[in-house]
Amino acid sequence: MSALVAEGLNTFYGKSHILHDVGLTVAEGRITTLLGRNGAGKTTTLRSLVGLTPPRTGRVTIFGQDTTRFAPFAVAALGVGYVPEGRRIFPNLTVEENLRVPLERPGNWSVARVYEVFPRLAERRQNRGRQLSGGEQEMLAIARALLLNPRLLILDEPSQGLAPLIVRDVFRIVAGMRTEGMSVLLVEQNVRMSLEIADDAYVLENGAVVYAGTAAQLTGDEARIRALAGATAEDWAFDERAA
Amino acid sequence: MTELLLFNVTNGLIIGAFYVLMALGLSLILNLSGVINFAHGGFLALGGYIAFTMQPFIGFWGALLLAPVLVAVLGLLLERTMIRRLYGRDPLYSLLLTFGLAFILQDFTRYVWGANGLPFTVPAFLAAPISDQLFFVTWYRLFMVAVVAIAVGGLFLFLRYTRTGVRIRAGTLDLETVSVLGVNVGGLRAYNFALGIFLAGLAGVLASGQLSLVPNMGDSLLMPSFVAIIVGGVGSLPGTLLGGLLIGLASGLVTLFWPSAADAVIYVIMAIVLLLRPRGLLGEEGMLG
Ligand SMILES: Nc1ncnc2c1ncn2[C@@H]1O[C@H](COP(=O)(O)OP(=O)(O)O)[C@@H](O)[C@H]1O
Ligand SMILES: [Mg+2]
Repeated sequence: MSALVAEGLNTFYGKSHILHDVGLTVAEGRITTLLGRNGAGKTTTLRSLVGLTPPRTGRVTIFGQDTTRFAPFAVAALGVGYVPEGRRIFPNLTVEENLRVPLERPGNWSVARVYEVFPRLAERRQNRGRQLSGGEQEMLAIARALLLNPRLLILDEPSQGLAPLIVRDVFRIVAGMRTEGMSVLLVEQNVRMSLEIADDAYVLENGAVVYAGTAAQLTGDEARIRALAGATAEDWAFDERAA
Repeated sequence: MTELLLFNVTNGLIIGAFYVLMALGLSLILNLSGVINFAHGGFLALGGYIAFTMQPFIGFWGALLLAPVLVAVLGLLLERTMIRRLYGRDPLYSLLLTFGLAFILQDFTRYVWGANGLPFTVPAFLAAPISDQLFFVTWYRLFMVAVVAIAVGGLFLFLRYTRTGVRIRAGTLDLETVSVLGVNVGGLRAYNFALGIFLAGLAGVLASGQLSLVPNMGDSLLMPSFVAIIVGGVGSLPGTLLGGLLIGLASGLVTLFWPSAADAVIYVIMAIVLLLRPRGLLGEEGMLG
């Protein structure tokens, strides 16, 4: 069984037609990366999958259930962890309180384990979300999603705006989720590092899938990689904002 | 003169306490659901009337506890059937619906209990003055302030320490992210609405022990409560608390020196605060945007 199957998604924001017949599969126990340039429709795809922006037509199946018309909380309750673009930490809540928001499904992940794996969060537990650095916020956003004990983890540009050393940490953590038995759907602009950890890959262009295959195969496609990497990844990877 | 001053300060404190109860409920609902509930005063009156009707059977204390719960249940029903349809829509709809509900609630109480004032008796020891010197201050006045303090303290503890409370605070800033974390935000909003209405019902029971029960008894509290929210800063519950106490005390004190300005002073305070600090005393930047 696949963790997630999306077929023929057409999603609109008002009158603008953003996704055109998008289809993708996340195989169980594998990391699937969804790549594409700014504005290609990656975030919109993820929002369509988790119920935030339901597609007008098409179907989403998660662990065998048709979730196309599910509310976001019902999708999450099936075991889908979502790390949104820009992290979306609750700035007015402390780290500890941020970790109390998610639904806690039974499983290996608990607040204690999260603090063990992310010791920095344990040190900062009384600090408010807005006081954390970008890297700490990213750890918190991932930790928050892990408390759901997800079977499928969806991440939207987790390395965005982080310093190179921290970016490496983030990718190491994401790669580690596979060994936990999780299926992962990773949206990224950092093409090279994503392809290094991913098993499967999709490329989105103007709201349509233009590549579907293995990550290894895409890594060999130099022209496509160069087109993707264009003015992204390395350029902006240096400003670790301690907001 | 000292006695007069003391009288007006306690008066201001009590008025402020009612503003606080009303405004906190309004704030909770506004923050999480984006609905300005013009029917809030109607729920307040209903709390008083229900307590009045139940008192012969379950006594003052039973009525004090149970009436707000019943009003909250009614609030929950109205939220599930009507209010929730407003979420995400133009604020104009919420204005129209809650304004209509305000009239319906008021006419309903008038129809059931009549338009004339009804007495709600409080236990004799509460109705007694505190001392011969302070003959103008009854124990009931202190009692009201104490109950409000307990309710407000309880509310803040709830929001700080329970999971539901934490989720309500999270949802105030980012409801969408709360929902993708597996929280049924429809349920959260319903619960939160009922909580706000509970506070209105409680205010109604307390008020009826001091004033007589009339169907429109909540009306005069509604506008000042909005002012309290704006003065304290939209989105901040501590701000609402501060705003309510501030304008209550101010109108109490101004009554002493210039009675006819007692109502105007709260709007003057609002104007000054908005001029100097547009987001309110404790408001977060960008909450109004
Ligand atoms: N809320 C919105 N309303 C209208 N258009 C939007 C909205 N969000 C994104 N878009 C448009 O949809 C397209 C895809 O955006 P998005 O999915 O965010 O791309 P990506 O995540 O790949 O950068 C873009 O053209 C963007 O301008
Ligand atoms: Mg995006």
